[in-house]
Amino acid sequence: MRSLLLQITALTVMNLKSLPKRFWLSLSTIVAVMFVVVVLLAFLAMRNGFQHTLASAGSQDVAMILRAGSQSEVASVITHDQVDLIEDAPGIAKGADGKPLVSPELYLVVDGIKHSSQTKANLPLRGMGPEGLAVRQGIHIVAGRMFAPGSNEIVVGKALQSEFDGLQLGQTVTLGHSRWTVVGVFAADGSVFESEIWADLPVVQSFFNRNNVFQTVRARLVTPAALGELQRYLDSDPRLKLDAKSEAAYFAEQASGTSDLIQKLGWPLAIAMAFGAMAGALNTMYSSVATRTSEIATLRAIGFGGLPAFVSTLIESAVLAVLGGVLGITTAFLVFNGLSASTLGASFTQVVFTFELTPALAAQGVCLALIVGLIGGIFPSLRAARMPILAGLYGS
Amino acid sequence: MTYLLLMRKNLFRHKLRTSLMIMSIFTAFAIFGVLASIERSVNAGQDIAAADRLVVVNKISFTQPLPIAYVDRVRAIQGVQQVTHVNWFGGYYQDPKNFLVALAVDPASYMQVYGNELDIPSDARQSFIRERTGALVGEVMAKRWGWKVGDHVTIANNIYVQRNGSRSWDFDIVGIFKGKKPEVDTNYMIFQYDYFDATRAFGQGQIGWMVLKTASPALNDQIARTIDQTFANSAYETSTDTEKALNKAFVAQFGNIRLIMLLVIGAAFVTILMIVGNTLMMSVRERTREIGVLKSLGFPPGRILRLILGEAILLALIGGVQGLAWAALFIVSVRDSVRGLLPQIPISPDVALVGLALMLGFGIVTGLIPALNAMRLRVGAALGRS
Repeated sequence: MRSLLLQITALTVMNLKSLPKRFWLSLSTIVAVMFVVVVLLAFLAMRNGFQHTLASAGSQDVAMILRAGSQSEVASVITHDQVDLIEDAPGIAKGADGKPLVSPELYLVVDGIKHSSQTKANLPLRGMGPEGLAVRQGIHIVAGRMFAPGSNEIVVGKALQSEFDGLQLGQTVTLGHSRWTVVGVFAADGSVFESEIWADLPVVQSFFNRNNVFQTVRARLVTPAALGELQRYLDSDPRLKLDAKSEAAYFAEQASGTSDLIQKLGWPLAIAMAFGAMAGALNTMYSSVATRTSEIATLRAIGFGGLPAFVSTLIESAVLAVLGGVLGITTAFLVFNGLSASTLGASFTQVVFTFELTPALAAQGVCLALIVGLIGGIFPSLRAARMPILAGLYGS
Repeated sequence: MTYLLLMRKNLFRHKLRTSLMIMSIFTAFAIFGVLASIERSVNAGQDIAAADRLVVVNKISFTQPLPIAYVDRVRAIQGVQQVTHVNWFGGYYQDPKNFLVALAVDPASYMQVYGNELDIPSDARQSFIRERTGALVGEVMAKRWGWKVGDHVTIANNIYVQRNGSRSWDFDIVGIFKGKKPEVDTNYMIFQYDYFDATRAFGQGQIGWMVLKTASPALNDQIARTIDQTFANSAYETSTDTEKALNKAFVAQFGNIRLIMLLVIGAAFVTILMIVGNTLMMSVRERTREIGVLKSLGFPPGRILRLILGEAILLALIGGVQGLAWAALFIVSVRDSVRGLLPQIPISPDVALVGLALMLGFGIVTGLIPALNAMRLRVGAALGRS
């Protein structure tokens, strides 16, 4: 057993030391695997970032109330009377002043200019009342201040600022028919709220001809379990044809379409490319075995077994693939980790997100690389192990 | 003829090695074929948009409505030949997952403005104008849900509500329209705006956007300016642009799809280029002696160059053509299942032509260095080497 291990080690070291002789061919395998891993990670990191942006926006103990059947905020309409009724609903937490933590909001789509392409893109403008911040957690004003009630001032999400033109602190922008001044920038733990513009609700209602119209109501629940109680209250009143769902569930629904699409593109592409790389690895390893024919035969003749020849060749292939995988992860990390991008979300508005590479994704990349290396190495290794000694010694 | 035979014999001397190279070339071209077709389908809207069509949307955003009274005012503007208006209905069939595109339109003017794209049977035209609950369904959509002329369908909606509180509308399918060109998207349905407007609970008298035909594309800029000036400082200001620009801007909202596709295709090609280039180099090096023999037999250097280069191009063609063929088969087989996500994916001859050009380029790039090496080989050195 020990001698077998020694043989394997000796042969593996020998193989790896002779790699420079096959430099270009080995390099092509490494590069092939690298590109496979880079493409896979690009898609996975994109999906991960997009999902994280939406998932982190949702809180379990905030109820989103929309018109029954509405699947996004844009499509929902809630009247003033309904808002009053919701404020009396059970299960809703009260603020320090004894008022229920309920935030009726208006969600509108306005045009912005995308920085990268200089084309128009849909931005969400959210009108919110004084309770708007109280029903959300983790919102910080990072520059400037909050908008003053009754004024045409806006605060802008941090992520939007980098992707869109004209949203710097102190600048004046035209949204709809009116001009607004950017007085603050807010951060929201990287969530989708950072892709929004916020302003005072009554001002938005009057500037956009939506007096007394709301689209969603957010309510802070006493406990997440109080959602059922709230829904029963809504169902019992015929004036309230509304749906309540937890904010977390709402954003999870919003994320699913786009992130499914990215995933459905990413894996098949990476697997297709892996097949190409596998063919490359096979080629490299076959020629590696071919160039070492007399070497292997000599070793066999002086008593080395077939198994060490097999294992050492397989290891060579795996090492090349893992090298490619690690190179791929490094490239991915340097080139697009943290890269900011934006796309159209389910609400028909832009969602700004960043590519997020995690150790778990990197592990998937290495696994794929290893699979390429092992499958690409197994047949050449078998050939090495089964090589007839005499034929090998005389050369082919 | 013997030339080709020689190339083929050389190429398939190492059957395994050559099949592996063909497999990697196959993969690269299959990826190219599929991605290039998807990219075309995503951008098809802007390519087929007629140059003399303008779209008028609310200046705030295209999701905001316009008053229907604008239609007549736009029609009166000089240079405008025909105006129609469209209202997004959305909706789903049976289950919210079965999202579909349905538009409430003014039948007669809609069919005129889109007359060059849509192929609508003449009896269907008549009944669509006549029948209040009539709907025209695109070929692709009809096929997907198995709808036929005469069917009665109920489409639910999560934006609008009927006056009677119902959330769904009933339609009678009076005709099925086809696209006059393969790129024309027919995965949608149209129905009478009047029926929709009279039954909905809110938003009466509002339309989504207007589409108009101008007398000549040269007038587009001037007409667009006139329209926007007409409605400036009103409660509903407009923004008028060509259909092409609008489609382009909409696709750009998803991100730079073209760039993503180019990067992936690029990565696939660089990979294969390295693998095939190196292997070809190795295979020519192994044949040093033979090339020496050919030279000593009197083969001119140019011929040797062409021989090796031809071999590389032949290899690229064998792998590439199969890859493209596979891509076409793949697209045909998945086309229906991705219908909700992507518009009609065409199999276009353009992609195949670009593919062929890529194959030639690929063959030349991978074969050039080995071919030059072989050409410059000196007979003495070649035969002397063991």
